[in-house]
Amino acid sequence: MMIRWIRRFEGWFGAAGAVFIAIGLYYGLAASPPDSYQGEVVRIMYVHVPFASTSMTCYGVLTVASLWYLWKRDPLVDNLAHASAGIGVFFTAGALYTGSIWGKPTWNTWWTWDARLVSFTILLLILIGYLMLRTFIEDREREARYAAILAIVGAVDLPIVHFSVEWWRTLHQPLSVSQRGIAIAGVMLYPLIFMSIGFYLLLTYMIGVRTQMLYLKQLLEAKRGRLLGEVHS
Amino acid sequence: MSGIRGIQLSQSYRHYQVLKDVSFEVAQGECYALFGPNGAGKTTLLKLLATLQKPSSGRFEMMGHDGIRDRNRVREFLLMIAHGSYLYGELDAVENIRFALALRGLSPDAREIKTALDRVGIGAFADFKIRYFSEGMKKRLSIAKAILIRPKVLLMDEPYSSLDERGMKLMNQFIRESTGQGASVLMTSHNRVQSAEVAGKAGVLFQGTLRDIAVKDLAAAHELF
Amino acid sequence: MNFFNVIRWLAWKDLLSEMRSRENISSMFFFALIVILIFSFSFSTDQQTARELMPGIMWVAFVFTGIIGLGKSFTAELQNDCLENLQMNPIPRGAIYLGKLASNLLFMLIVELILFPLFVIFFNLDVFEKIPLFVLILIAGTLGVSSVGTLFSAMTVQIRAREVMLPILLLPLIVPVMIGAVEATGGLLRGDPISLYRPWIELLIVFDVIFTIVSFWVFEFILDH
Repeated sequence: MMIRWIRRFEGWFGAAGAVFIAIGLYYGLAASPPDSYQGEVVRIMYVHVPFASTSMTCYGVLTVASLWYLWKRDPLVDNLAHASAGIGVFFTAGALYTGSIWGKPTWNTWWTWDARLVSFTILLLILIGYLMLRTFIEDREREARYAAILAIVGAVDLPIVHFSVEWWRTLHQPLSVSQRGIAIAGVMLYPLIFMSIGFYLLLTYMIGVRTQMLYLKQLLEAKRGRLLGEVHS
Repeated sequence: MSGIRGIQLSQSYRHYQVLKDVSFEVAQGECYALFGPNGAGKTTLLKLLATLQKPSSGRFEMMGHDGIRDRNRVREFLLMIAHGSYLYGELDAVENIRFALALRGLSPDAREIKTALDRVGIGAFADFKIRYFSEGMKKRLSIAKAILIRPKVLLMDEPYSSLDERGMKLMNQFIRESTGQGASVLMTSHNRVQSAEVAGKAGVLFQGTLRDIAVKDLAAAHELF
Repeated sequence: MNFFNVIRWLAWKDLLSEMRSRENISSMFFFALIVILIFSFSFSTDQQTARELMPGIMWVAFVFTGIIGLGKSFTAELQNDCLENLQMNPIPRGAIYLGKLASNLLFMLIVELILFPLFVIFFNLDVFEKIPLFVLILIAGTLGVSSVGTLFSAMTVQIRAREVMLPILLLPLIVPVMIGAVEATGGLLRGDPISLYRPWIELLIVFDVIFTIVSFWVFEFILDH
């Protein structure tokens, strides 16, 4: 049922995402002026912010899907969780990477123990741990169950990580680098909106494709299992 | 009401279907002996019934309770005797028995434990650490545990393995006593002679499917599978 | 009623085993000792820097030994399939969690209390009137590590590559515990006024409460399908 829905609409999401990102790139790279403080560097924002928000959305989807799985035990929901974790690694790494590139000219350092940076790093580590955990379990049902538990515990943990690092930072280094305060206005808003919508469409498309792949893989395994059983008897 | 009833139980692992629509029934006070080659799915079936795994499809009942939905109820009836002896190496025999019974809310007095240990012939080793026990002694200790627990449903994975002649007799005695008191016993076995003495029903599990055979044919048949 | 009995029996069983084998505590202790020595050698050691690094070194050593102890805690249950036995018994899963948590917490605290005098000697600390508060930080930090740790060690013990997966899953999640414990210990040993590091102790306590409750709730899904 749900899988049919995914199959029918995913292509549209992909195509629309490509269009939005193309428009966003045009606005972001050509049609918008450089920032008065940061100059050309500000253009990284147009990819960095969408990366950051989509990666958090990924974890949100993962958490909801995990809770839903523990409640209803629908294998397709587990595939959805698995897919969003995998895609989440891509978007989180993207957010960290673009953030680092942006940090070099503005903060004069690739890396700082900022609360957002640390919690995104922890987020990435949890997601990678999640994917590793799944590869180490033979039994399908148990794999889904354990992965869901990890995702839920991680979801509870991440806000605490964020707050504790923030506290820790303000105690140790009273902000030596200025916040990236930019008064976003007018022309700079367009590329950001287009890119964000484009990224969310892309995210939906990617999760849809990946969920379907995982579902089909599982189906294939089950079919092959049945065939093997028939061949043997 | 039957003791154990399996209804079209199937279990598949990633690339292999271990059990295919296995249905059977063990009445109260009856012993069912299950035969089959290695890897036929006997242990998997027992693990499903012991609520350790969830079947891919199908369901089962114990004493009229659904084994998946009401599994905590079912757990009150069943006891499994398997290759893993469920004993802690650093505790001695009596402590292990106390621990196992405490998990079921039972607290037997020292005399009861002594009687049970004596009955299975390991009374002299009551204060030995399990670390120093042989496999056969561990199995005898499992029988002693079962005597004290008196479960309504007994699942046994190769009960005769690693037991000596005298131990096998003890085991059969115990099984007869349990069925006499209305317990249902499901055992897997490779020992046709011993099983035939206690079984009221028998079946062969071959490549995931179950077929019944007559108990009187057990000893006579040349090959079961 | 049965709930608290199960906790008590599980903790009693672990404690008794440990008192007889001394396997966990001794290996944890020597491992921690080595970690501390290695750390001390790898930093330049004038008194001032050493003192500043000391809380960090101490908690890294504690967490590492905790991981060793947590790993062993459930591997012991794998021998003779004891974990399966716990699964098959009609006992509340939360009670199993709390029982194991109690013994894990206790083992870690014992090791930490043995190690602490060594820190006092190595780093020339002046602590005697601060001991009650220090013990509070110790308990709060250790509970933070072992509450999540007990959950994950029950999980990783049943999968492949378990020795690697426990630290990989556990360490990122206990970053707040590490920060809080190190800051609070540092503040206490520097002689800061308590108002400066009290928020950190509160953070630890909040973490403990949240994760003991969350782990207690999800533990059911680890031992049961």
